[in-house]
Amino acid sequence: MDCAVAMNLEAAAMPESQEPLLEVCDLSLRRGQAVVLDGVNLALHPGETLGLIGESGAGKSTLALALIGLLRAPEVQLAGSMRFRGTELTRLREADYRRLRGNKIGLIFQDATAALNPCFTVGEQIAEPLKRHLGLSKWDRRERAAELMHSVGIPEPRLRLDAYPHELSGGMQQRVMIAIALACNPELLLADEPTSALDVTIQAQIMELILDRVRALNSSAIFVLHDLALGAQVCDRIAVMYAGQIVEEGPSDRVLASPLHPYTRGLKSCVVELGSRTLVPIPGQVPPLNAMPAGCRFAPRCPKAKAICGEQRPQAEIRDGRQVACWFID
Amino acid sequence: MRDALNIPAPPDSQWKRRFVQPLLRQRSAMLGLAIIALYVFAAVFAPWLATHDPTAQDLMASLQGPSAAHWLGTDSYGQDLYSRLLYGAQLALIIGFASVALGLAVGVAIGLAAGLMGGRTEWVLMRIVDGLLAFPELILAMAFMAVLGLGTENVVYALALSFVGPFARMTRGDVLQVKNQPYIEAARLMGVTTAAIIWRHVLPNVVSPILVQAGMRVSIAILLESGLSFLGIGVVPPTPDWGLMIAEGRAFITMAPWISGVPGVALAILLVALNLLGDGLRDAFDPTTQKDA
Amino acid sequence: MFQAASAKLAQTLLVLLIVSAASFAFLKLAPGDPVSIMLGSDYSKSSYDQLTHELGLDQPVVFQYGNWLADFVRGDWGTSYITNQNIFELAVLQALPVTLTLAALSLLIALVIGIPAGVLAALYRNSWVDVLATTLAIGGNAFPSFYLGILLIWLFGVDLGWFPVLGFVAPWEDFWQGLWHLTLPAVTLGAWYVGLIARITRSSLLEVLGQPYILAAKARGEPAWRVVWVHGMRNVLMPLVTVIGLQLGGMLRGAVMTEVVFALPGLGMMVTTAVLNREYIVVQAGIMLTGLLFVAVNLAVDQTYQFLDPRLRRR
Repeated sequence: MDCAVAMNLEAAAMPESQEPLLEVCDLSLRRGQAVVLDGVNLALHPGETLGLIGESGAGKSTLALALIGLLRAPEVQLAGSMRFRGTELTRLREADYRRLRGNKIGLIFQDATAALNPCFTVGEQIAEPLKRHLGLSKWDRRERAAELMHSVGIPEPRLRLDAYPHELSGGMQQRVMIAIALACNPELLLADEPTSALDVTIQAQIMELILDRVRALNSSAIFVLHDLALGAQVCDRIAVMYAGQIVEEGPSDRVLASPLHPYTRGLKSCVVELGSRTLVPIPGQVPPLNAMPAGCRFAPRCPKAKAICGEQRPQAEIRDGRQVACWFID
Repeated sequence: MRDALNIPAPPDSQWKRRFVQPLLRQRSAMLGLAIIALYVFAAVFAPWLATHDPTAQDLMASLQGPSAAHWLGTDSYGQDLYSRLLYGAQLALIIGFASVALGLAVGVAIGLAAGLMGGRTEWVLMRIVDGLLAFPELILAMAFMAVLGLGTENVVYALALSFVGPFARMTRGDVLQVKNQPYIEAARLMGVTTAAIIWRHVLPNVVSPILVQAGMRVSIAILLESGLSFLGIGVVPPTPDWGLMIAEGRAFITMAPWISGVPGVALAILLVALNLLGDGLRDAFDPTTQKDA
Repeated sequence: MFQAASAKLAQTLLVLLIVSAASFAFLKLAPGDPVSIMLGSDYSKSSYDQLTHELGLDQPVVFQYGNWLADFVRGDWGTSYITNQNIFELAVLQALPVTLTLAALSLLIALVIGIPAGVLAALYRNSWVDVLATTLAIGGNAFPSFYLGILLIWLFGVDLGWFPVLGFVAPWEDFWQGLWHLTLPAVTLGAWYVGLIARITRSSLLEVLGQPYILAAKARGEPAWRVVWVHGMRNVLMPLVTVIGLQLGGMLRGAVMTEVVFALPGLGMMVTTAVLNREYIVVQAGIMLTGLLFVAVNLAVDQTYQFLDPRLRRR
């Protein structure tokens, strides 16, 4: 039923009925007793960019890791479905999943300094997926790695191939990370807070670079971000997550202009805008995973909560071309 | 000044919460402690528990297997192995703890002196410590035994001397670290005397890592002690010593494996127990360190 | 770079000087008068004074040390009173290679068993594999090597008769015979190291496997075995080398015991025999040699660090 909602929504949003590249239906992820992701529905079309927005602990990074198959049974329990190019990912054999990782699905980590192995040169690390997935010869790998480094804006790539990660600046390390993720021209790029570990001056450059490369390769991308305004600026669509659930999902401009879910509204009023004198924080905190409210997970912090919100979980409804999960959509 | 006073107090008061409780949670450390307690019991009550004089020879009853008269059998001189085992525990524990205590006292004194005085005193003291640390413990202990001569007391001195180096270096390192802490600076600014600073602030901070180190050294001391005796350059016969007993039983390993087996197994179990406790102490003290020193 | 290297060199020279001074001090502290020992029981005052003068023992201690050091560096280490053997030959050419071979073989055995055991324990954390590996590690680490040696001799040497129980055949003279003779000693000494290596491999690997770069390697589609053995183990080598270097003292301790148990003519056997015979000049050679060995291994470990960790390399 949830999936039907997503499908209807897609039909409404995208008149040219194209097969979605990625389709997540009622995906739940449990770690022991804790329900980390709860009934997530998403669809992503080729060439589309989606922003996953939410506070830390909302499950955004978990969703990204689940999509690339780095959070699987027996570590966690998955329910629901994730279809990538028509292939069901939740039941995919590990050997087949491995052929997707770094190949059809790329992942950019938040902190490149920690995500690059200190004991291997950047050239070796960029070359790895080239060997693994494309089977290039040693010479071709080197050539291609240098090309990739050039394409992500690393000057003098041939000299830097044999550099170790610690010899590069943070911005350069993140560029290397991007080169690795894009090495095999992935159809889906996942970027987990790709700029939050960087200096503010470099953040825009890196964001621009990723978008630029994604467009050049005609790939789809999911950006995990905590900044609603940034997400709306760089992504076609936005999904707002709260405590493991997607509370609102739709085209960026509409979500930002007229948020329907109280949480999205709260997020928006948290954004510091030039000229605005008031900053309205959302009261309270995200409940711990082992003590989630039975009904709407946002209810304890919601200014509009009524009795039903605490008792029953709202189902996603389509309103104004987006899916919203709230009992009281105006 | 407000800042200086606001600095966290040296963590010495809640040692029970930080130290004892984590230790109690570790089952293997508790097992080690229980075994050690058993050995201590055997050592303390050896005179009452023993069935024979540990050095009484009875050549008529030599090389006997376990029996009602000799619970764990006899060696080639007809000495009762059970009684020798008990007195051997006494000797091992006394030598182990005494040598570590002595080495600790001297080492900590040198380390404190070096760390607090600095300058030329520190340089000379630390070069002596370097000299001690430049050799493996056993070689050092063997050299000291060669100089001092054989005998129980000399084993204690030789082992203690070979432990001075590590304790001195550790203490000095800890002192230097503590010396630069903001609260020491604050205490100095408030006019607290050097002696009071050492007593109130420096010692409590260096004492726990050194005690952990001491705990781990005891097993090395007992291993070295029995090793020296095994080599024939430690305790002299007929003293009931495990190392001597193992050495004696070596010749009879096929005919009477129990002669070396009784002290060998006893020694192995004690060393395992001491290691378990030592690991527990280390983890309880600092769960982040993985160092095997 | 040059500054760091020369500082390191100066430090090493200082340690070497301290080692030599300590070795020299040992001989001065040793009981007995070397002159009367050399002259035997029957000698006259004039011959005593003459030998004292010839040996330079009437000079100030600092000069004696200088002379001794000069002789030592030239390889003139004196002659054994008992066997009349050249001590340099005895210690460096005969005993040292035996000890080094034993140590190398034990380390090899320990690495071959310890690393896979540690990796398995880390991968199947808290399973029976982990419990078994940890138990064996603690047991092997604590078990006194001299008793283990006796047990191995009893079981594999005497009872089963698979291995020779005593003696040494140089592997560089007869490789297979030598290896056959060294197997039990190497296992005895290696057993102590296995536990240590398994433990440090386990704990380091667990730490490394939690690092983001391991997740990143998986995200690149690297197969699990490569993630563990290449991306993971490459980062475990550093702590492993540290521990192997730090535990050299324990290794030499075990080597002395093992040599005596198996009657191998190594450094440990040499020093033990010399202490028992009160041949202090041979003991001194052993002390000096182990001291030098310590310094050399520490230097080697330092160099290995730079080789293993790119972050420590200077460009």
